[in-house]
Amino acid sequence: MIGRMRFTLLSILFTISSALAQDAGATRADWPHYGGTQFSWRYSALDQINTNNVKALTPAWMFQTGDYAENLQATPIVQDGVMYLITARARVFALNAATGREIWNYRYPEPPRSVPGFVGNRGVAVGDGKVFFGTKDNNVVALDQKTGRLLWRVSVDDAHQCGCNINAAPLVVKDKVIVGGTNGDGAHRGYITAFSTKTGRLAWRWYVIPGPGEKGNETWKGDSWRFGGGAPWLTGSYDPALNLVFWGTGNAAADFYDADRVPAGADKSKDVNLYTASVVALDADTGKLRWHHQEVHDDQWDFDSAYEVLLMDREIRGRMRQVLVHMNKSGMTSVLDRATGELLGVFDVAEVRTWVTGITEDGKLVGRNEPQLGKTTTICPSAAGAKSWNSMAYSPRTGLLYVPVLELCEDITPNNAPPEEGQNYMNGDFPLKLAPGRTTYSHVDAWDPVTGKRAWTVPYKYLLLASMLATAGDLVFTGNPEGEFFALDAKTGNKLWSYQTGAGHRGSSVSYAVNGRQFIATSTGWHVSVVGAAAQGLFPDQDWRLGSTLVVFALPEGSR
Amino acid sequence: MKGLVLLLMVSVAGWCQSPQDALKQGEQVFAKSCATGYCHGAKGTASGAPRLAGRGFNQAYINNVVTRGISGTGMPSFATTLSRPDLTEVVAYVATLNGVANPDTGSDNAADAAPALTGEAARGAQLFKEAARGFGRCSTCHEVDGLGISVAAPIEQVPASVAALKALATPNVKTGAMNGESMPVLVLKDGKQSTLFYDLTSAPPVQRNVLPGSVKFTDGSSWRHSSAIASYSDAELDAILAYLRAVIRP
Repeated sequence: MIGRMRFTLLSILFTISSALAQDAGATRADWPHYGGTQFSWRYSALDQINTNNVKALTPAWMFQTGDYAENLQATPIVQDGVMYLITARARVFALNAATGREIWNYRYPEPPRSVPGFVGNRGVAVGDGKVFFGTKDNNVVALDQKTGRLLWRVSVDDAHQCGCNINAAPLVVKDKVIVGGTNGDGAHRGYITAFSTKTGRLAWRWYVIPGPGEKGNETWKGDSWRFGGGAPWLTGSYDPALNLVFWGTGNAAADFYDADRVPAGADKSKDVNLYTASVVALDADTGKLRWHHQEVHDDQWDFDSAYEVLLMDREIRGRMRQVLVHMNKSGMTSVLDRATGELLGVFDVAEVRTWVTGITEDGKLVGRNEPQLGKTTTICPSAAGAKSWNSMAYSPRTGLLYVPVLELCEDITPNNAPPEEGQNYMNGDFPLKLAPGRTTYSHVDAWDPVTGKRAWTVPYKYLLLASMLATAGDLVFTGNPEGEFFALDAKTGNKLWSYQTGAGHRGSSVSYAVNGRQFIATSTGWHVSVVGAAAQGLFPDQDWRLGSTLVVFALPEGSR
Repeated sequence: MKGLVLLLMVSVAGWCQSPQDALKQGEQVFAKSCATGYCHGAKGTASGAPRLAGRGFNQAYINNVVTRGISGTGMPSFATTLSRPDLTEVVAYVATLNGVANPDTGSDNAADAAPALTGEAARGAQLFKEAARGFGRCSTCHEVDGLGISVAAPIEQVPASVAALKALATPNVKTGAMNGESMPVLVLKDGKQSTLFYDLTSAPPVQRNVLPGSVKFTDGSSWRHSSAIASYSDAELDAILAYLRAVIRP
């Protein structure tokens, strides 16, 4: 009896803790961070808009940024009824989130000299009464949240030298603002840098690639560590209970030719070129590495691990685990214990795969199909990724991940050109092509991270390059290059609603509420750089429209 | 003076070089900005974007496309993303891929070409901006020859010796007192609307913008140039001075 009571008590505690876990990653009235919460689920607990009434969803307001030369990729941040939005050229707006009325705007000055890299910005971070963002000339900037007034800016690196810049939204953790940077495909050594939110002063920097004398440097040949890439070019996640920041790192450079960076006799079934193509856990206060998990040892396919990191608590093999879910660019997805880095499972979302013949349950690559100097090798998925940078979403109600998957291949012809600091160091051509024998080249999938099984899939002819949003109304939202923004039933994938916004989607939609009214907001405007350009080239008869407009939907007033 | 330094920089970067050098430069610009694999392939082959070599394009057409982009395609305008010399050179390079024998490279002043750095000066150039030093390198605060962050005013006079470099007087660095904290600062603007200064407490310097009157500046500071360059040995500083003497002309 006592034993049984204990069991019941335990069950109650267990239920409470898992209820907390269900809550931890959900947003409510606000959309406070890039990934929703810092668990990066892109999931809203709001359910006013749901499978029963989504058909009535209609535009409530729109905001045209005026920055039309590029696009709008940003995830809007919403706090206390105010939305913070950044455009490709770092024009920042604070808007009344219920009406779209502008409260303030700030224009980051155009750098006096042209800088390398594409023009784009994926979002601001809000915290400590400030709005933070990164720039194409590698500054981190802090504005006053109330007025938009510049408070401080600091140069993270010389863009002309490193060839790097900051497109990703920063991550604010306690009294620090943390950013990564681009140019993982260049002769550059990636890093993550933390600054004091208050003063902008350097708090810590963690280099993806260890220097001489540091553990892991021995996984590099000679001085190749100096230009080994690994740039962590997206936004990390944070678990306050563990005080750990989790971040994905870029691929090793040179991308397609490894002879100059891999030590003689290296065992490719183990860590090579640390800590590229890895997920890392860093102490939030010091930036010290706590654990790492390298997803692709000696990557030769431009398979970054730079993507979003989802944190959730799930029962695995009868035991509640603090889980971390992370997808490599290849589509190979790792499920880890986020306290220890222990690998709990692996699944692969790509339908067409030639880079390996198989992936074992413990994440080992079987039959590596490595590009060879002097030859051309067809590889699937392509360097555009089985998924691009656009985020997946996770719903605790269904327990499923919602993933936009691409089916592309490429013909890799490597070269062995020497590195030149900051310059492109991919060492290969890799014209993209459509995966053979198909009529559709992307799909929205629902995956169970515990079983590694796909619950449903919805094919799409062209390429899905916008992030996913999941809501407690059991809806999944995303947009396509043709301009359609649509809602799927989270349980079945059935399309329940769609709206033609007039321009292609490469942004990230969010949900929030003001005075009890739920809104769904999405960035619109196709982007023609990098994967967008490659995608356009694959479908030359298509005319995917540029733009820079935020479109916000709600149920009609009075219908609730 | 700053204008003069800038002019010198630009001329070194592009205008005063031989057509051969300009085409070589154009090839490099092409490699980093166009042949990124996601777009065009190396030497104008096809990759994510179409082939450019042997298409019969003339230079005017190439210039037009590079400057304006092609609406509705992946081809962007490079008018603002490439410097003027880079743009001219890359257009000339692509023209050669299309059989144009002597394209306009914008380089009609070949005699003034800046000599390449050698020996000690070349080593100094590397040390000046050495990435492995993180924020301990000179280029954290100095822009020279188009590289580095221009926190400090342009270097006009090169110190005569390592000892002089370490003992460098820095009268511009003052002490700012704000919210009970005092910090070494470099004042940029102390106007009616805002007060803008670099906080030099730690590297990298932070540009801060505060309301007028909220910070009080006094002459002198605890900041020392010798601390900022502490990551370098004397021999390395010697090489850096050799570099500066080679590129900074009074």
